[in-house]
Amino acid sequence: MATIIDLHSHSEASDDSRAPVGAYLNWIKLRRAERPLDGIVLTEHRQYNRAADYRALEDQFDVMVLRASEVETDYGHMLVFGVNDDILRRFDFSNVRLPAQEVIDGVAELGGVVVPCHPGRPTVGLCEHYETKPPLENVTAVELLNGGSRKGENERAAALVDRYGYRAIGGSDSHMVSLIGLCATRFDADVRTIDELVRELKSGRYEPVDFRPNRPRPRRAAPEMAGT
Amino acid sequence: MSANTGRHFDSVAVGESLGPHEIVIEKPRARAFAAACGMDSGRFHDDEAARAEGLPGMIIPGNFSLGLLSKLVTDWLGAGPGRLTRIGTTYRAIVLPERRLTLHGFVTHIEREARSVEIDVWIENEEAERLVIGTASVAFPPTD
Repeated sequence: MATIIDLHSHSEASDDSRAPVGAYLNWIKLRRAERPLDGIVLTEHRQYNRAADYRALEDQFDVMVLRASEVETDYGHMLVFGVNDDILRRFDFSNVRLPAQEVIDGVAELGGVVVPCHPGRPTVGLCEHYETKPPLENVTAVELLNGGSRKGENERAAALVDRYGYRAIGGSDSHMVSLIGLCATRFDADVRTIDELVRELKSGRYEPVDFRPNRPRPRRAAPEMAGT
Repeated sequence: MSANTGRHFDSVAVGESLGPHEIVIEKPRARAFAAACGMDSGRFHDDEAARAEGLPGMIIPGNFSLGLLSKLVTDWLGAGPGRLTRIGTTYRAIVLPERRLTLHGFVTHIEREARSVEIDVWIENEEAERLVIGTASVAFPPTD
């Protein structure tokens, strides 16, 4: 059974978001026809929200809530999935200049997986860093579709994926309730826990999915039929 | 934007839309706003001065965008008892005059006990890029 998860979102636990988790889940419930999400991952900035317990909200809205982090490195921002005590002991997530290669390798060694996010974004994305520094090794995947991207950013990410053969995920990067789930990732497998998510991210059996109402349409070989 | 006779707390629902409202800000209006605010920088008044700063032309002040989104909310409230208590915005891209802009909003959260409402608001350009995004809070009195 496939699972669709928004892998990148920020709740009010992040310093630049005012979105309560319950409001996100309620919005998903209301918009399920347009954005058929099974779950979201909260990727709070520079922290891991260890104490948060969303089980009651998950039950209320029938939406899975997993937790991860968005950290800042010398190659831009990166999502860390499978955060555990060992990872938190080794890396100070509040450090805004974490060494990217050490984070990628260290997190993998300790059971997690790191995914560079919004790689096409100026300053905080991988593409710009690759212009002046050697490419990183052992990159599992990058965020190809980011719901907060400006014009051209996802296209730069696509060129990066093509050039380096990276796998691709999608996430909304939502900081506002109504933007949750605009981009997400469809996994071939059933994913219900963070361990299963990490396992599947390493497997490569997934693809980014785009639920934006004005998303770029793939070029068509034939003219559209009237009424379509 | 048409005025309404007044929104009441019990009639507000999560998912309710504010707008969309299309608007074009002409250059004289943007200049007048900047002048009234004491914003003398050439980028708000003159295309050439803006280009000298690397901008494509004169731009609309951020506070003008904030004002447009505030008005989106207060027009939605109309003459009713609710009041806008907070609005916060993030400026993600420059907003240019003489372009078609669209103001959007959604009611995203209601606190029944506190009788408050949270609203997402944003300004899009013609390519559906969100140039300014934000959230607003609205409070209603204990009974309305």
